[in-house]
Amino acid sequence: MVSVAAKHPYIEALLKGYEAPRSGASWLDERRAQALERANALTVPTTRDEEWRFTDITPLTRLSFRPAAETKPLALSGLSRFIAPEAGARLVFVDGVFAPGLSATTGLPRGVVVSTLAAALDAHAGAIEPHLARHAEFEREVFTALNTAHLRDGAFIRVGRNCACPAPVQLLHVSTQKEAAAYPRCLVIAEDGSDCTLIEDYAGLGDAAYFNDAVTEVVVGAGARVRHARVQREAAGAFHIATCAVTLARDARYASHAVTLGARLSRFNLIVTQQGEGAEVQMDGLALISGRQLADTHTLMDHAQPHGRCRQLHKCIAGGAAHAVFNGKILVRPGAQLTDSSQQSRNLLLSDKAHVDTKPQLEIFADDVKCAHGATVGQLDAEQLFYLRSRGLSEGRARNLLTYAFAAEVVDRIPVPSLVAQLEETVLAQTQAAEPA
Amino acid sequence: MSSVLENLVNQPYQHGFVTDIESDTAPKGLNEDTIRFISAKKSEPEWLLEFRLKAYRHWLTMAEPQWPNVKYPKIDFQDIIYYSAPKPKKLASMDEVDPELLKTFEKLGVPMNERAKLAGVAVDVIFDSVSVATTYKQKLADVGIIFCSISEAVREHPDLVRQYMGSVVPAGDNYYAALNSAVFTDGSFCFIPRGVRCPMELSTYFRINTESSGQFERTLIVAEEGSHVSYLEGCTAPKFDTNQLHAAVVELITLDDAEIKYSTVQNWYAGDENGVGGIYNFVTKRGLCKGVNSKISWTQVETGSAITWKYPSCVLLGDNSIGEFYSVALTNHHQQADTGTKMVHIGRNTRSRIIAKGISAGQSNNSYRGLVKIGPRAANARNYSQCDSMLIGSKCGANTFPYIQVQNHGATVEHEASTSKIGEDQLFYFASRGIGAEEAVSMIINGFCRDVFQQLPMEFAVEATKLLGLKLEGSVG
Repeated sequence: MVSVAAKHPYIEALLKGYEAPRSGASWLDERRAQALERANALTVPTTRDEEWRFTDITPLTRLSFRPAAETKPLALSGLSRFIAPEAGARLVFVDGVFAPGLSATTGLPRGVVVSTLAAALDAHAGAIEPHLARHAEFEREVFTALNTAHLRDGAFIRVGRNCACPAPVQLLHVSTQKEAAAYPRCLVIAEDGSDCTLIEDYAGLGDAAYFNDAVTEVVVGAGARVRHARVQREAAGAFHIATCAVTLARDARYASHAVTLGARLSRFNLIVTQQGEGAEVQMDGLALISGRQLADTHTLMDHAQPHGRCRQLHKCIAGGAAHAVFNGKILVRPGAQLTDSSQQSRNLLLSDKAHVDTKPQLEIFADDVKCAHGATVGQLDAEQLFYLRSRGLSEGRARNLLTYAFAAEVVDRIPVPSLVAQLEETVLAQTQAAEPA
Repeated sequence: MSSVLENLVNQPYQHGFVTDIESDTAPKGLNEDTIRFISAKKSEPEWLLEFRLKAYRHWLTMAEPQWPNVKYPKIDFQDIIYYSAPKPKKLASMDEVDPELLKTFEKLGVPMNERAKLAGVAVDVIFDSVSVATTYKQKLADVGIIFCSISEAVREHPDLVRQYMGSVVPAGDNYYAALNSAVFTDGSFCFIPRGVRCPMELSTYFRINTESSGQFERTLIVAEEGSHVSYLEGCTAPKFDTNQLHAAVVELITLDDAEIKYSTVQNWYAGDENGVGGIYNFVTKRGLCKGVNSKISWTQVETGSAITWKYPSCVLLGDNSIGEFYSVALTNHHQQADTGTKMVHIGRNTRSRIIAKGISAGQSNNSYRGLVKIGPRAANARNYSQCDSMLIGSKCGANTFPYIQVQNHGATVEHEASTSKIGEDQLFYFASRGIGAEEAVSMIINGFCRDVFQQLPMEFAVEATKLLGLKLEGSVG
């Protein structure tokens, strides 16, 4: 038992009964201890913190969560709607605990490892040690610190040098228990010249209020390519706070497709750091929310080296009394010349009570760069509606079609066909539900 | 190319000099006695002293804001002279103005004795803290316009001042606005009555003269129903090595169908090339479009100050009201600028437009920070923002922080930003047409700022390009 003396009562409650997981690796114990120390020292962000200005997490701090209890095994058939048939391998975690019976890790090409972190710690310690808890900074981020302090298990994917993994790898996190706090963790190492596709999926069964504090680290080696589809479809009462830290080496290519559909309150931080020259990044995002949902996406594209290229498109569709937040920052550090970075934030408001806060940011410290950003907020185009109505579509159908088309630009680019089909259905169902009777 | 640009951006400050005039000066430091001293010196009514003391007491409870993207050593508010006035004299005509003062204005390029040639510009001269001369007053009075210093307005039109002062920028609005409300010494007051179109551009030159006397002016412009006024503000400050604090408050109010156009050319001393000295320009400027169909337009050319930190804003309260913001901010050496605007849409069918151009050179840091807020009642609100940055040299920084908050689904908001540099290929193209690098740079920058310069009134456009030229050689324009 480790003594817990957190500065903030909420964090103290979360750390109550905290037991340092035993790994056998001293470096990991040390990192966890550092994270615990930071979690104790940090306080819960409020709307007075610039990074949390529009996202009030008081509803989260009002509830108390305990670590997930032992779960009764789930049947694979109950999860079929979340499973991507084209995936070559699958890791399923239920309430943060690995479910071997639901997972499939056989038949992978040579050089590709898909396993749990706990199982991989011995065999791949040399590969894991330089990266685990090295990319997702926990010095100032209380939720990353909490996750790192609880780091016991997680997903581990390693694609060896010049190996290609033709079929996507799916990570499915299913939550079933109410008032449970889980700390999903994932480490992806794509070595030099490798190629892989990752599907990271957070799904909730039922509508329980639970808390997922997730951290994913992705390391992309020189000339390697990673496509990363991320779907957050947590239960309606859930809280989801996640950080994904991506580090790119020379000429690496990384594409992120992040879709936010669920959770009562969600926050996703995507931090991409270009540590080698000439990396290429695509960041797509879609938040489709209604009711009283709050979805917050913070992205940081850190061009630390020259010749980087980034294209970002983030779309929010807010209906009901939903609140969408987007904060995207492009940072061009001194010396990162010939950077070519652009960012688009497009927001569609479907109802009177929905609102959106968007803040695209440029911070540029090099002179020979091309950077641009744009942001729009608006409603459906009256002329487009009129056109569709003149072709015999009802008002409701016309609105649906246009909303669907707005989302399709992001959805269609996801490199997993079954996921695209599924999301298209979800978008259509959501927009119909958002339609006033 | 770099050597050409270096020559262009390293022009020495031409307005650095100290005028030797006897001043009636308050002792350094800030406490309730200082405030009573200022109030007594200006023979103010009791309510204004109360206003000041209330602001001061509120200020004591506030903390200095930390969020701007600027760095400076902590300001010692007890090390500032809060009141400094030239010896009072009654002036019958322009000839009686202190020749030293006139010389100062000559050096500044303000031809006091050539006013008539200044095509209808009335200048209410603020020299340090007391209004020394006001011209064209009669002509304005004929149409019912009141244009005078704030102290005079407090004496002559106390009801108007009391009604409007602090109604747009409350005394406790922010740290520096509270400080200004407590210790403001002078400024301009302008009142345009119903239906009057001001026959000339109104203009004020502000100047800080006594070393380390922070200047806290206060400007209040009220445009009644259906009136129209264009107001010009120009600033230059002499060269000093200690930093000077400048915390002004400007309040604009337009009633139904009225329009105020407020233009600023700011060229306070920016410090030397090592970042020593220079003015801290922490200003609160806000306009309230109170009536329907009213309009407030801000145009600013910011070339000076060690630190510029201001956000001329528009609160669009009346239905169909319009807010505009046009800005050129140029920073060089170690200058820092964190400037932009706030457009708060409250009324229906309100529209706003933001055009901001930032040029950073040397080791300076130039930030655009803007807020576009569409309230829940602002149906059909419309905003268009464009902010472009240009970087000259690899040691400077350009940042944009646009905040967009929309709470009405009938609103349309667009924001665009871009960053560029003067390319070798552009200079080559000019060279191939027989245009030298220096002229080419000036033409490119002039083109870059064109959208903003177009908004400046004729009388001011010349000076604007001239002042911009102080930083990027006189060839601009």
